[in-house]
Amino acid sequence: MTAIPLNHALILSAMLFTVGLVGLLVRRNIFFMLMSIEIMLNAAGLAFIVAGTRWGQPDGQVMFLFILALAAAEVSIGLALILRLYQQFKTMDVDAAHELQG
Amino acid sequence: MTLQDLRPLLPLLVLSAAIVTVMLVIAFKRDHRLTFALTLIGLVLSLAALPLASSGLPRTVTPLVVIDGFALFYIALVLAASLVVVIFSFSYLEKVAGNREEYYLLMMLATLGAVVLVVSNHFVSFFIGLETLSISLYTLIAYTRFERQRIEAAIKYLVLAAAASSFLLFGMALAYLVYGTMQFDQMSSPSNFSAADSALLTVGLAMLMVGIGFKLALVPFHMWAPDVYQGAPAPVTAFVATVSKGGIIALMLRLFAFVPLTLGSNLWNVFALIAILSMLAGNVLAVVQSNVKRILAYSSIAHFGYLLVAFLASNALSISSMTFYLVVYIITSLIAFGVITVLSHPQKEFEELEDYRGLFRQQRRPAIFLGLALLSLASLPPTGGLVGKIFLAAAGVESSLWLLLAALVIGSVIGVFYYLRVAITIFRQPEEESAVWTAPRLTPLAEVTLVLLSLGLIILGIFPAPLINLIEAVAARLG
Repeated sequence: MTAIPLNHALILSAMLFTVGLVGLLVRRNIFFMLMSIEIMLNAAGLAFIVAGTRWGQPDGQVMFLFILALAAAEVSIGLALILRLYQQFKTMDVDAAHELQG
Repeated sequence: MTLQDLRPLLPLLVLSAAIVTVMLVIAFKRDHRLTFALTLIGLVLSLAALPLASSGLPRTVTPLVVIDGFALFYIALVLAASLVVVIFSFSYLEKVAGNREEYYLLMMLATLGAVVLVVSNHFVSFFIGLETLSISLYTLIAYTRFERQRIEAAIKYLVLAAAASSFLLFGMALAYLVYGTMQFDQMSSPSNFSAADSALLTVGLAMLMVGIGFKLALVPFHMWAPDVYQGAPAPVTAFVATVSKGGIIALMLRLFAFVPLTLGSNLWNVFALIAILSMLAGNVLAVVQSNVKRILAYSSIAHFGYLLVAFLASNALSISSMTFYLVVYIITSLIAFGVITVLSHPQKEFEELEDYRGLFRQQRRPAIFLGLALLSLASLPPTGGLVGKIFLAAAGVESSLWLLLAALVIGSVIGVFYYLRVAITIFRQPEEESAVWTAPRLTPLAEVTLVLLSLGLIILGIFPAPLINLIEAVAARLG
């Protein structure tokens, strides 16, 4: 088995990050926005693993575990807020919530 | 890690123990007063543990955390600010129907997150501290239920903060890829970086800056600030404006003490652009607002732009002038949001400029406190705001950053206009119908706190030397 070159892995994580970012900017459904954020977080996690591999350290993978834990916490709060959003506004569209303005 | 290592960690340990205690007490007995009292005791004990922790410093406890004079100073600042916010929260929460106790729990967790940020010396502790702070804040912003604005503000904050966190993490990953370490004090730039490595590092640090810029609400990452400031309950807004931002500034100072930011590099120019945009846009946009919480949000954008001027100067004065300005800013914000909090009702926040018309005739003391805070924000004497701004400008002059200083002066001049507009509204004749408006009265504890904060603000304006000496002593040990 040949090792995967560092650059390739890094480019993959950059691409995943971009996919997530574009999804976040384009989608207006709060559900898909949260999923896009998940993709961005995991892309960052992948980049950490790549960095850890370069130095032969486990630190990158440890960081990935922390990121997983964070993503879970963030999504659980996010889903609770989505439920409340739906109760109040009867929609999943974030643009419906625009009462705050100057 | 040895037993001696636990001693410098004492403030964190006490705070964590207090959190667990409060959590258990809530499980057995729901009582608003009891939870409030326990939270106060926990925060005060944690503050009292600071002198005990201060022997044998600086000390690195595991690679993650470093405790030095600088860290202890900022821990004290964060804990004290949080204590004041908790005091103001009590009378506000009394009027909330439903569960009130978890609010204190979340506030202490958020404080712990800020404290971890302040002492962190490693990307992992940076990240954990930041997320403990942020995730508690998402919930705090939406705390009083069944309010459409709260939910909107919380969702906006959640989506943008999570996106900013992923930028931050990607930036950290790139910095780790180049440095081969996640410990701040081992990050030194050797001259033998390959071209690819230095390009990656620039991208990484820029992404880190997106994350930090978001938390400090610098232009162009400021979109959340006005909406969250307006939508969140008033005491939570006070927390976001003081504890959250103070923790980030401490971290930024520590990180960039090791990662050099050379004058004139690409990254430096981007920072400078962000600073200028924040100072100008923050002040200009504040002029057209008619909601006091939104005015304060835009004003905070501008104030953190001012702080960046000293940061970019990166000379001997930078750290001390930024810290002094931050202390003054935190005291000022606590007074301003404290007055808003004690006059607010969870169903109707006291936030429209029209509400403030004639406040002085109805409630003398809150009006005077707020007026003083506005003077300090506008950097007028006799408040600490003036001294702080001069100090910041001195750091800029030292490094001849004329363009940034020009933006600072222009921004301040615009600032005086809208701060005074609010101040004048307070002292105007009330209209007929608004005379009926009865805002809640101050509780004795809140009033004593406001008096002490106001005295502190005036003392810093007249005798700033003791605090400056203290800050210079603790800042000297950094870097």
